[in-house]
Amino acid sequence: MTSIGTGYDLSASTYSPDGRIFQVEYANKAVENSGTAIGLKVKDGVVIAVEKLVHSKLLVPGANRRIQTVDRHIGLATAGLPADGRTIANRARDETANYRDFYRSPPPLQAIVERVGQFVQVYTLYSSVRPFGVSTILGAVDKNGPALYVIEPSGVFFGYHGAAVGKGRQLAKTELEKLKLSELTAREAVIEAARIIYLVHEDAKEKEFELEMSWIGPETNGIHLPVPKDLFDEAESKAKEALTSGLE
Amino acid sequence: MDHFPTNWGRPRNDAVDLYNTFPIHQRPSNVPKDAFSAGIQHTQQPIVTGTSVLAIKFKDGVMMAADNLASYGSLARFRNIQRLCPVGEHTVLGAGGDMGDFQYIQAILDELIIDEFAAGDGHTLGPKEVHNYLSELMYARRSKMNPLWNALLVGGFKDGERFLAFVDLLGTTYSASTLATGYGAHIAQPLLRSAVEGREDTLTEDEARKILEESMRVLFYRDARSLDQYQIATITAKGVDISESRKLETAWSFAEGIRGYGAQTQ
Amino acid sequence: MSRTPVSLPQQHQFNPYSENGGTILAIAGANFSVIAGDTRQSEGYNIQTRYAPKVFRLTDKAVLATNGFAADGNMFVKKVRQRLEWYRHAHARDMSLHAIARLIQTMLYQRRFFPYYVYNILGGIEDDGSGAVYSFDPVGSYERETCRAAGAASSLVQPFLDNQIYFKNQTAPPGSAHPTHLPLAHVLSLVIDSFTSATERHIEVGDGLEMYVVLAKGSPLQGLDTIHGVTELTNIPGGERMFVIRRSLKRD
Repeated sequence: MTSIGTGYDLSASTYSPDGRIFQVEYANKAVENSGTAIGLKVKDGVVIAVEKLVHSKLLVPGANRRIQTVDRHIGLATAGLPADGRTIANRARDETANYRDFYRSPPPLQAIVERVGQFVQVYTLYSSVRPFGVSTILGAVDKNGPALYVIEPSGVFFGYHGAAVGKGRQLAKTELEKLKLSELTAREAVIEAARIIYLVHEDAKEKEFELEMSWIGPETNGIHLPVPKDLFDEAESKAKEALTSGLE
Repeated sequence: MDHFPTNWGRPRNDAVDLYNTFPIHQRPSNVPKDAFSAGIQHTQQPIVTGTSVLAIKFKDGVMMAADNLASYGSLARFRNIQRLCPVGEHTVLGAGGDMGDFQYIQAILDELIIDEFAAGDGHTLGPKEVHNYLSELMYARRSKMNPLWNALLVGGFKDGERFLAFVDLLGTTYSASTLATGYGAHIAQPLLRSAVEGREDTLTEDEARKILEESMRVLFYRDARSLDQYQIATITAKGVDISESRKLETAWSFAEGIRGYGAQTQ
Repeated sequence: MSRTPVSLPQQHQFNPYSENGGTILAIAGANFSVIAGDTRQSEGYNIQTRYAPKVFRLTDKAVLATNGFAADGNMFVKKVRQRLEWYRHAHARDMSLHAIARLIQTMLYQRRFFPYYVYNILGGIEDDGSGAVYSFDPVGSYERETCRAAGAASSLVQPFLDNQIYFKNQTAPPGSAHPTHLPLAHVLSLVIDSFTSATERHIEVGDGLEMYVVLAKGSPLQGLDTIHGVTELTNIPGGERMFVIRRSLKRD
């Protein structure tokens, strides 16, 4: 790597001569090593899915969740360092609490993403801190309808129809682009999300993984909830089916 | 003997204006002055107030009732206010006293419930937890001499168990199979006790509703700070249900026969 | 008769205290202790509930009865229990009775200028196996006694106890002395009579009676087995034993 040995990569408070902040780029590397997380904003809701790589058979199933709840109507998934992901989620919760305290109404996702984005960005300014090693997908159904954002380690954030972060993001994005996201229902999107996670996992097949999925839509009353077992099982078995039929 | 008739039947404790008479008129005070009062700053008084809340246990759970009025002294200021609110999936909170403080309490509880929901650990707060939280909150605020000026009833059903308890601005708590706050503690509580005590496990939902409706009617006849629009909350194993606002059937024709009230000229 | 001047706005001073009626009572025997309280909670003429316990088990050999402002009482018991739990975590055993008594005095005095408006009576068994009663005022003054009544009807009950337990105004027959300790059955009937009488004469007393009995290690049941409505709360072979007896009192 060009940065190594130049001395410009030791601190987030120093630019390299060509205008880069290597610490932020390294943070992105931490994200790239992580299991894939995707988000789908569809006609009537949002679906979030995560390929949670399980590094030990000794772990209790369901442990170390990577999808977290921020507010009744806001969910988030992180890719990167799990501990940083929890810090981001806690900050997001504090910001929703603060918004509710101030405005006495449920926050629109954009307001929260702006604040959390600013929080993340601050960690790119000082030599004394390390930028967050996570990209965060935030999904919600708020007063403006479904919303989906990604916050990157640099603090930059964009809104998306479909988002993918982590190891398999390229393939996942290609698959997401094939979908008519604005015509899908949340229920249909769950099936697609599971399929995509199983598909992108093909490249890291030797590793075990757990599928995590949550959704917000008319069937959850606009509340961020784990996908119910029957739908989850259906989506998972269809995903496996699609995989085997695709290979033949 | 208290020689001021305006004081008769009023609470001994002047801090609790159960009749919500403030700021109608001044009453002479012949209550012994509290030894601590001299050096301590007063905090507040309730401004926009709600009157009674009623609650009873019945066969399948707990039922509560409160009217939709928020008074400004003797002015019926807000006639469509909610004094029963759900807290989580198993609990209803009913409030008398200052409605501003009540709405503040609702915001605090909403945040509490969101925190629990976000934890996503499969646990939910039941009525016991909510009541204990409120008792700590109310007691802490009274200890700062800055109370939340309310009398609250917490009713709920969780894990096959009914729960009904009271907490007020002093942090005083108690539990019983029938509870009533404010004026209802005087007028409705005896009616509720004779209708419910000993029958908690046999009263049906319909019977419970009838008992509360009848008590609300008596309160509307007798409590000048009450309204004939009210709501009923039912909490059972199925969860929380707070009714739409309903209207009491009342008959006032008897008033015609009362001298000085009806149409008689003398 | 003082009237508030009309020109002044009504000052509505918040009073952080209330009185919730009821009466508590404890009597120490040679090798037992009885701690009792009624279960009515009231404010003014309102009965708030007919069952609100005022007597609380702290450890296997200590029972605390509180009376006065119920919110303070409940909060105080909660804090005492918290301190006892911390003590258990630190020392792997229960705090002894005299130490609990001093703890309570310290906790009460810490709030000397915003007191817990609560009269406390602590009963139980001392380390030497003797029955003990400690009584407190709201700011922590305390002493060990043989018997004490507190609360709404204390002025009715205490003189009765003085006469029946301390034999005040009673002269022993020549050549004999009054006993220093009474047997359990006798003490229990005095407690029951005290509360039925207090219920008759005091409007804030009634509804239910809860009597806790703590027996020293190895002491016989002393008739507890024949009394009706007894529940044992302890289950440690060879240790102190604790019982609760519940009776109803008149509800009017």
